[in-house]
Amino acid sequence: MPVAPPTPLAQERAETRTPTHLARERRLRLIAQRLALIVLLLIVWQVASLNAPAFVLPSPKRVWEAWSGLVVTANFWKDFGITFSRVFTGFAFAAVIGVLFGLLLGANEKLGEFFEPVLTIINTVSSTIWAIFALIWFGLSNWTTIFVVFMTAMPLILTNVWQGTRSVNVDFIELAQTFRMSRLQVMQKIYLPTILPPFFSAARLAFGFGARVSLVAETLGASSGIGYRLRQAADLVQTDQVFAWTLTLVALMIALEALILKPIENRLFSWKKRAGDQ
Amino acid sequence: MATVRVQNVSKWFPRRDGESLHVLQNIELDVPEKTIVAIVGESGSGKSTLLNIIAGLVKPDRGCVLLNGVKSSEFTDWRSMTYMFQDDRLLPWRTAAANVAFGLEAAHVSRAERKQRVAETLALVGLSDFADLYPHELSGGMRSRVALARSLVTRPTLLLMDEPFSKLDPTIRAQMHAEVLRIASLMAMTVIFVTHDPEEAVVLANKVVLLNPRPGRVRETRTIDLPYPRDPSAPEVNEQARALRRSL
Ligand SMILES: Nc1ncnc2c1ncn2[C@@H]1O[C@H](COP(=O)(O)OP(=O)(O)OP(=O)(O)O)[C@@H](O)[C@H]1O
Ligand SMILES: [Mg+2]
Repeated sequence: MPVAPPTPLAQERAETRTPTHLARERRLRLIAQRLALIVLLLIVWQVASLNAPAFVLPSPKRVWEAWSGLVVTANFWKDFGITFSRVFTGFAFAAVIGVLFGLLLGANEKLGEFFEPVLTIINTVSSTIWAIFALIWFGLSNWTTIFVVFMTAMPLILTNVWQGTRSVNVDFIELAQTFRMSRLQVMQKIYLPTILPPFFSAARLAFGFGARVSLVAETLGASSGIGYRLRQAADLVQTDQVFAWTLTLVALMIALEALILKPIENRLFSWKKRAGDQ
Repeated sequence: MATVRVQNVSKWFPRRDGESLHVLQNIELDVPEKTIVAIVGESGSGKSTLLNIIAGLVKPDRGCVLLNGVKSSEFTDWRSMTYMFQDDRLLPWRTAAANVAFGLEAAHVSRAERKQRVAETLALVGLSDFADLYPHELSGGMRSRVALARSLVTRPTLLLMDEPFSKLDPTIRAQMHAEVLRIASLMAMTVIFVTHDPEEAVVLANKVVLLNPRPGRVRETRTIDLPYPRDPSAPEVNEQARALRRSL
């Protein structure tokens, strides 16, 4: 017997019910996949460590022990705090300067044209070179790391904000003009919301880069912080310590992304039409 | 109250080849209080330019515009007029209510009053239940209403519209026409709008101004003396619309 095609209404109802259902299923599957991946990596690690001396590849158990030993020391948290305060300071300077100059260069085409090469130059210089310069200029101080983070993060933020100002819809500016809004109001009500999405994605990227290069800077030019501890551990061939620090950092960055940045982004940009919507 | 007088206005736009394009020539237009004026004419006849000159967004090269009897160069009460574009220009990052509030943000209105006026105006256009939706969640007709609300929230006495409903489908368009008429009489507004469509002109306007192109000149001014509401399918309305279409 031929089956009657579903009525449009029934079809619609089925479609409105499935997305949440599918989403939950997908989330569960994702969690299962991640757990399986972690277990798999641990097994591979364990097996590999059986055939290698501990100073080349310590076993998961050994790393765990090193980590448990580390966490209880006061220095662990102190170094942590020092590194992240450097990263945050460098990042904060980068965000403020990047947004201000991005807006300025975006608002003034001639200025933008003139300064564009500076950005290219900054972008081609590697973070290690900035670290060496910083060492020469600031010596063994907080500013060495802060400077390297700044030089890495700032061009990223500046470029994205600058591009963002170019994508401002002139129709909206015209609209603001019909309401006789001031230039400041146009900046605040049209430009700022337009550059917020590119700013945010650039800031996320910049913070990640900044956190990574901060370690390079610290191994070269600091006498405290995670990077310094890493070099110390390496010098003393305490490979388990190196692993413990590394895993802590990875976990922290993932947590930061999932618990802080992603929710903020979802909240800020809830107005955006999602790609899947019709 | 709002009156508009366009006196002997001419406008040229510079062209890329160094010549200038004569867009408007000696335009005269008198809009008494509470009238609804339609500006019609073929594409490129300078309708939008004329509206922009009235709105003070474009300066005339010759002649002047008197708003409430004051030369527009000396006029200060710009917030008593609003301008509606052909597209709705809703800010995608703002909800319907916040888009309506945009109209009030340049004026110095307290937060509490702003909130109340936004609610009132949304109710006026029948969108109270949709205040918290984002533009992409609204239908074309609803978006148009939000744009209208944004123009009305400042309680203008003069409403300027440049082909405001041309992108809507006929049914919704007719609804918007009824809405504009109702609100215009309720708020005692003077309305000047541009349209391509003779029928829209006849349904809404007391007075229709026909522009000739290149350069734009007033060819004729017609008075439409039919009682409101005007049914677009009524024979008198059709008759007038056909007559207007013939002279276009
Ligand atoms: N800012 C400008 N610079 C140069 N030329 C312009 C400018 N604005 C309009 N024009 C020219 O002036 C003429 C009239 O334009 P306008 O937009 O006023 O016509 P319109 O009657 O509104 O046309 P449409 O019905 O297509 O909207 C056109 O030829 C147009 O190219
Ligand atoms: Mg036009």
